[in-house]
Amino acid sequence: MDALLERLEGLLADNSIFTLQTLSYYGEGLVTTVQLVFLSLVIGLVAAVPLAIGRGARRPWIKWPIFAYTYVFRGTPLLVQLYLIYYGVVFVEGIQESWLWVILEEPFVPALIAFTLNTAAYTTEIFHGAIKATPRGEIEAARAYGMSRALMLRRIVLPSAFRRALPAYGNEVIFMLHASAIASVVTIMDLTGAARFVYARFYAPFDAFLFVAAIYLCLTFAILYLFRWLEKRLLAHLKPAGG
Amino acid sequence: MAATPIPLEVHNIKKRFGDTEVLKGLSLSAHKGDVITLIGASGSGKSTFLRCMNLLEQPDEGELLVHGESVRFKQAKHGREPADWKQVVRMRARLSMVFQSFNLWAHMTLLENVIEAPVHVLGKPKKEAVEHARELLARVGLAKHADYYPAQMSGGQQQRGAIARALAMDPEVMLFDEPTSALDPELVGDVLRVMRDLADEGRTMIVVTHEMAFARDVSSQVIYLHQGVVEEAGAPGEVLDNPRSERLRQFLAPKH
Amino acid sequence: MIDLHGYGPRLAEGALITVELALLSLLLAIVLGLVTASAKMSRSRVAHGIGTLYTTIIRGVPDLVLMMLLFFGGQMGVNLITDALYDRFGIDIFININEFVAGVVTIGLIFGAYMGETFRGAFLAVDSGQIEAGRAYGMGPWLVFRRIRFPQMMRHALPGLSNNWMVLLKTTALVSVIGLSDMVRVASEASKATREPFTFMIIVAAIYLLIASVSEWTFARLQKRYSIGYGEVD
Repeated sequence: MDALLERLEGLLADNSIFTLQTLSYYGEGLVTTVQLVFLSLVIGLVAAVPLAIGRGARRPWIKWPIFAYTYVFRGTPLLVQLYLIYYGVVFVEGIQESWLWVILEEPFVPALIAFTLNTAAYTTEIFHGAIKATPRGEIEAARAYGMSRALMLRRIVLPSAFRRALPAYGNEVIFMLHASAIASVVTIMDLTGAARFVYARFYAPFDAFLFVAAIYLCLTFAILYLFRWLEKRLLAHLKPAGG
Repeated sequence: MAATPIPLEVHNIKKRFGDTEVLKGLSLSAHKGDVITLIGASGSGKSTFLRCMNLLEQPDEGELLVHGESVRFKQAKHGREPADWKQVVRMRARLSMVFQSFNLWAHMTLLENVIEAPVHVLGKPKKEAVEHARELLARVGLAKHADYYPAQMSGGQQQRGAIARALAMDPEVMLFDEPTSALDPELVGDVLRVMRDLADEGRTMIVVTHEMAFARDVSSQVIYLHQGVVEEAGAPGEVLDNPRSERLRQFLAPKH
Repeated sequence: MIDLHGYGPRLAEGALITVELALLSLLLAIVLGLVTASAKMSRSRVAHGIGTLYTTIIRGVPDLVLMMLLFFGGQMGVNLITDALYDRFGIDIFININEFVAGVVTIGLIFGAYMGETFRGAFLAVDSGQIEAGRAYGMGPWLVFRRIRFPQMMRHALPGLSNNWMVLLKTTALVSVIGLSDMVRVASEASKATREPFTFMIIVAAIYLLIASVSEWTFARLQKRYSIGYGEVD
């Protein structure tokens, strides 16, 4: 490990910008970005499943509030949602004196809330579309075999809908990774935050931003390949039989 | 006698797709009023041959004369191609093609389809083109369908519309690429009737078809192609009633 | 009435900037998209390679990072050029990259890549027989493009185009970060000054929703127009 660090240091010896110090900013930024994106995606995904089912409900008092939620969160910029939640929390009377401030002082929490609400809205619509696209014959077959609505949903509709939703959800994951760059606007030191810091300190826009762009590009490709692999495994049955 | 140029002549057309030679030196001349039918099994090269005549496919070798004017070619990276695309455009305007799948332009009404090329390619005044188009639509029995879109018409109506579109160019030669193959059997008759009328009025036509009755009754010459070669050619009486080769005999034999 | 603490007029100006920015970027994106689609469909390997590189990079990097790179980096690039001009030829000029122009160029450049994919798919979706019929009737490439490929492509492209526009509209909010006084920036400043974030952010959100709804309606009408002749219009 030490040897590796030494070699890295040697490599960086002539470089005034990419020192171990700045690289560690990027490293911490990477951790923050991945945490933020991963957590919001997981929570959003869990929330989206019941919301998507409710979105397709017949009862208007279930259906319409969910539709209103997805419409508003998909129809407005994430930055506006982030500002609303971030300032909203910060400016609540007396919050800075309360015990909650310990958690909320870090902009990470408001950002996580905004990102989660946003991705949950998009994911809800993706799943809703996939559920709606269930072939009628599959539903009829399930009914004919005496399945209850809940059983049918759990055993037939959702498993096939998840598979159908996979490509669109892959895009949503990449979208969230890219969208997370705006976390830097509310002073979070994510990847973009690190790049902005390095830019401000050395006034070297090309070095600072090209480097971070390359990291994002690698992350994007990693997600792309992960989903391609998943699709291959989970959607194999939809391919026409070989021969 | 003042020689009027022959409408369409092709000499020694050869065409390869990859390693397979699909046309192995085919020739044909269509004089005014000729109705030439090309018959043959699928894969015999008859459609490719027709498509070479208006350069929708580029022949690798051979000569092409439209109205006595020879099409000039040049050697390009991917094989031979026409040296002067303006010449190709001019020559295509003299030949008009009727496709197997009609290919009426889906975003235009039938009338717009018929006047499109006369107005934009030949530069005819729109008013004149519309008048002419209406006459032609009446001829093919579609006077009431001028404002229909292709998707709103049956296959037979679309194909008759496509024939009106071809006629609107006042073509010297009409090329028909299996015009009835994509139609339901009960719609074939209307299209063939229109084509017979055209033959009767002395139009020059080259027709790729599977309709043997049409070939027998209407054409002045029948050409039987097999694997890119002319196997037999001549008057329909000779070729269709007294086939010399075993292959043609089998091809003409009633199927089961 | 809601008390806007005197920010009303500035907010209105900001909304106008947002709309102008979005429309100009859309125009640039469509032009770039058509060029990119042609490049990616062309037989030239170089054109194809450049097109692919462009779309891959743009789609792999966050909008905000690209925007900062172009805005901050662009200014530095321009400075380097003007400095060199001064050193070599004694020409003294100063070009300041204007935030609005930087915003239009960046957003146009980003969405040009997405439009390129949309247009490419749409061009490929046009039935080849339709194009062949045009060629067979003596139409040259430009006439075939203008009369057949473009109108038929538009029907396939409109859903994607509409989608890209909705995303583009929301992306304009990012220009507030590089200092352009669009409505998000005005609202953000007002929120901090008045400590009433809900008032301003909700107004801004409502304006975005309004623009989105108007756009949706417009695209539905366009779709109807370009679907003429394809049976199902609804």
